[in-house]
Amino acid sequence: MKSELSVNSLGTRGFLADAYALWAVVRREWIIFVRYPSWIIALFIWPVIFPMGYILTARALSGVDGSGLTAFQNTTGLNEYTGYIAVGTMIWMWQNIVLWAVGYSLRNEQLRGTLESNWLSPTWRFAYLLGSSFPQLVSMFMLMLVSGLEYALLFRVQFEGSLWLTLLVIFAAIPSVYGLGFAFASVVITVKEANAFVFLVRGIVMVFCGITYPLAMLPGWMQSVAQWLPQTYIIHAMRTAALSTEGLSGIAFDLKMMTLFGVFWLAIGYWLFATMERRARQTGAIGQY
Amino acid sequence: MQTQPLSHPTVLSHLRALYALIRKDWKQYWRYPLNAVSSIFQPLIWIVPVYFMGLAFSENGKALGFSQYSGTTDFMSFILLGTVLESFINAVFWGMGYALKNDMDSGVMESNWLTPIPRLLILVGHSVTNLIVTALTSLGMLFFGGLIFGFHASGDVFKAFLPIIPMMLGLYGFGFAFAAVVMLLREANTLVDVSSFLVQIFSGSNFPVNALPRFLLPVALALPLTYGLDALRAYLIGTNPILPLHWEMLLLVVFMFVMLWIGTATFRSLERRVRTLGTLGQH
Repeated sequence: MKSELSVNSLGTRGFLADAYALWAVVRREWIIFVRYPSWIIALFIWPVIFPMGYILTARALSGVDGSGLTAFQNTTGLNEYTGYIAVGTMIWMWQNIVLWAVGYSLRNEQLRGTLESNWLSPTWRFAYLLGSSFPQLVSMFMLMLVSGLEYALLFRVQFEGSLWLTLLVIFAAIPSVYGLGFAFASVVITVKEANAFVFLVRGIVMVFCGITYPLAMLPGWMQSVAQWLPQTYIIHAMRTAALSTEGLSGIAFDLKMMTLFGVFWLAIGYWLFATMERRARQTGAIGQY
Repeated sequence: MQTQPLSHPTVLSHLRALYALIRKDWKQYWRYPLNAVSSIFQPLIWIVPVYFMGLAFSENGKALGFSQYSGTTDFMSFILLGTVLESFINAVFWGMGYALKNDMDSGVMESNWLTPIPRLLILVGHSVTNLIVTALTSLGMLFFGGLIFGFHASGDVFKAFLPIIPMMLGLYGFGFAFAAVVMLLREANTLVDVSSFLVQIFSGSNFPVNALPRFLLPVALALPLTYGLDALRAYLIGTNPILPLHWEMLLLVVFMFVMLWIGTATFRSLERRVRTLGTLGQH
């Protein structure tokens, strides 16, 4: 009689093995995240100090007698700038943090010298990238919650919009924000100059997407560029949902564009990951930094 | 033949060590040329939102409201100068605090610490490359910033350098203390980012500090950088200084000695604590 011993080793990949690997990455990233308690400081301080720089500049531009503010009202049609700047900068911070945290996840492994050995394990490699996004997503929700509370309490921002629509905008924004992060992470393991790429991508968002001013202030060609960036729609939708009473009709077009961009960036992110990963193995440069 | 081993350090051996540190950082910096180029344009990108926002608050290109606080309607020259000095602040913060964290991550911190070189010299060495690069990028920034946004300086350039010298030396004192805190906590990103950002806000790199709410004004006035920035702008673009200029210079010199003393003492004390804890090689 012939007996067969079926061993489901790590060498035989299955859904469960991939799920285990993903869970292991999520757990590791969470442990690293909470290991450095300064994240608590960042969570409470960044939402205040980042918009504060712009808000105080706007205050100085307004003048002692408010003559600058009158010019602002005439030019933009907006009555106040605090909530407008706070929401715009918050979306920028989200994209910036994703670029550093998710985009840097593989590069950090390269720097620590663990990327090559992890890569040799018979696991689903995309799990390394996906796994680093989950703890980051949890921390981002905390950041947004804290930001909202701090804006209301410290900056006296009047959130006249709907909480549910705001949450809807956040969920609709996740695919494009994280898709861009995946694409970015994939590029930097080959190109390596992660800082320059973060500066470039976040710089584009900062310049074109109107984080502190209405897009109408931009020259025509810059407005055309802005239309091709998902963050333009995210910022507009978030401002409308959180600060105004326009309701769903005010963000319907933005939601449509965010969904389209989300599908596009997730597909690009996955494709770039597969391509760059293959290329890095062929050139033997996966462990170099 | 008489040899001078490293275990008998001299001024010359210290200078050699300093040169080696600068050379290593310089080599590492230019190894990633895209990063290097982006450092010129990065500060300019940061001020684009301020530029368009400033236009929204202006009439016929003149920020009249801004002039009530600062004494000039040319808000972009005001901000460009602030951005240049801000880059030097960042160079010291990142050059010292973050460089130590990099050494920790790369696993070379402990071996570097065992060499017979004064530890403060290691910190200074780490910041020199950053300062040289910052000086070069600042020139590029003023050139491109001038082309894009317009930069008009009518004052005395030589006099404008006077407040920068005590300000930068005082900043080094602050950097020593800061690096020691990074060494103790073994975390740099948040510390460096938040501290440099707060210092930039409260020293008025993007706006005149008298526009701060009254309860925040004492924070700004307690920072030596506030007076450095204020004096530099007054000399170069003729803004209204918050104090008479000779008083600002005196305060800067006093702050310089105090900061160097506090920084050195804090570094020595915290560094001893880290060695006692045995956490120097950990990250």
